[in-house]
Amino acid sequence: MNDNDELNDSAVLSAVRDTISGLPMPAAPRLEAITARGRARHRRRLAGVSGLSVAAAGACAALVVGLTGGGGSARLAPPHGAGPQHEAAPQRSVPGVHLAAFTVAAGPDGTTTLTLNSGQVVDPSAVRQALAAHGIPALVTAGEFCRTAVQPAPGVGSVVVLPGRPLQTLAPGQKPAGPGPIVINGSAIPSGTELSIGYRQDPNDREISFTLIVAGAPLTCTSIPDHGPHPDDGPSGQS
Amino acid sequence: MSHERTEFAEFFQASWGPCLRAVVASTGNVQLAEDQVAEAFARAWLSWRKVRRHPAPRAWVVRTALNAGASWWRRRIRELPLAGHDTAVLSDVDDGLDAALLAALRHLPDRQREVIALRVFLDLGIDTIAAQLGIAPVTVRVHLSRAVTTLRHELSPSQATEVD
Repeated sequence: MNDNDELNDSAVLSAVRDTISGLPMPAAPRLEAITARGRARHRRRLAGVSGLSVAAAGACAALVVGLTGGGGSARLAPPHGAGPQHEAAPQRSVPGVHLAAFTVAAGPDGTTTLTLNSGQVVDPSAVRQALAAHGIPALVTAGEFCRTAVQPAPGVGSVVVLPGRPLQTLAPGQKPAGPGPIVINGSAIPSGTELSIGYRQDPNDREISFTLIVAGAPLTCTSIPDHGPHPDDGPSGQS
Repeated sequence: MSHERTEFAEFFQASWGPCLRAVVASTGNVQLAEDQVAEAFARAWLSWRKVRRHPAPRAWVVRTALNAGASWWRRRIRELPLAGHDTAVLSDVDDGLDAALLAALRHLPDRQREVIALRVFLDLGIDTIAAQLGIAPVTVRVHLSRAVTTLRHELSPSQATEVD
């Protein structure tokens, strides 16, 4: 290797540095978020050696997601009235998918149920395909939580029902449940909108988050669900 | 704030950027890299008494992040052809950057990418990299040389001129 080679190597490495440095990098998260994440990991590690009790807790944490195409509720009716909400309308005769990690199956009254089982690594691609077969447009991500700048109407609170969780929204007549189904009103997802489903891949820490996103719009994905208001939210920011 | 926490806070603030860039260089995805690096720093905090004595703590973080993220990256590659909007995940990579160079980076063998990341973004010397990776310095040089040869082909003449 001669001097020219050295110079050229240096040039290549500098180009790599400049190229990466040109990326708009996210700011460092707050230190508290990092240390909290470390503590959570520590707790999981401790729990992981405690055997059967953890396995039982994990089984209870199995997450069931219900996807409803009609809902039978005026509150959950499609916000824009007539017309198909998606190019691929729910196909209620589509057979279910039953895997160790998750299940997608047709439920009563046109519903589709998705169950993510604890203790399993769930392939987001497989989940997305299974949901798509049932007419549910979804972005499914593991380990990250994605949203678009605009969170379209009607808002995820009108689409997703999370039983037993603080943000749950119950349809009329619906009873809250423990670790029961989370209901998603698929027909309430407007055309041009998708449901973003993000979850942690850690089988023992199946945090899951839902939000509506504008199909095709740039995504902002974070390692922690961003439930806070977005600057573009609000009447003027809706698309 | 305890002394350890203060020390870790200083390390975290000073090292987040370089570590993130190093992992981005390896993964080609800012969002995934962000999560991987955050996870690595969380693990560093858990093991801070060990990491603080590490000869190259930033290298520890980067290697931890890369180990944590390898499976995600492979999964992402499989996903891309399946849904159009998922390609938006990579849009940040194409925005104002040399996409060909980044693609070449992503296609380097894992070890070569790791050497590049440690060399370029953490400014580690050959011997230090060798110690971190548990390989001989001459092997590091070989990896570096092969990586640079591959990347050189992707550099446009203008870039090479500008850098020279």
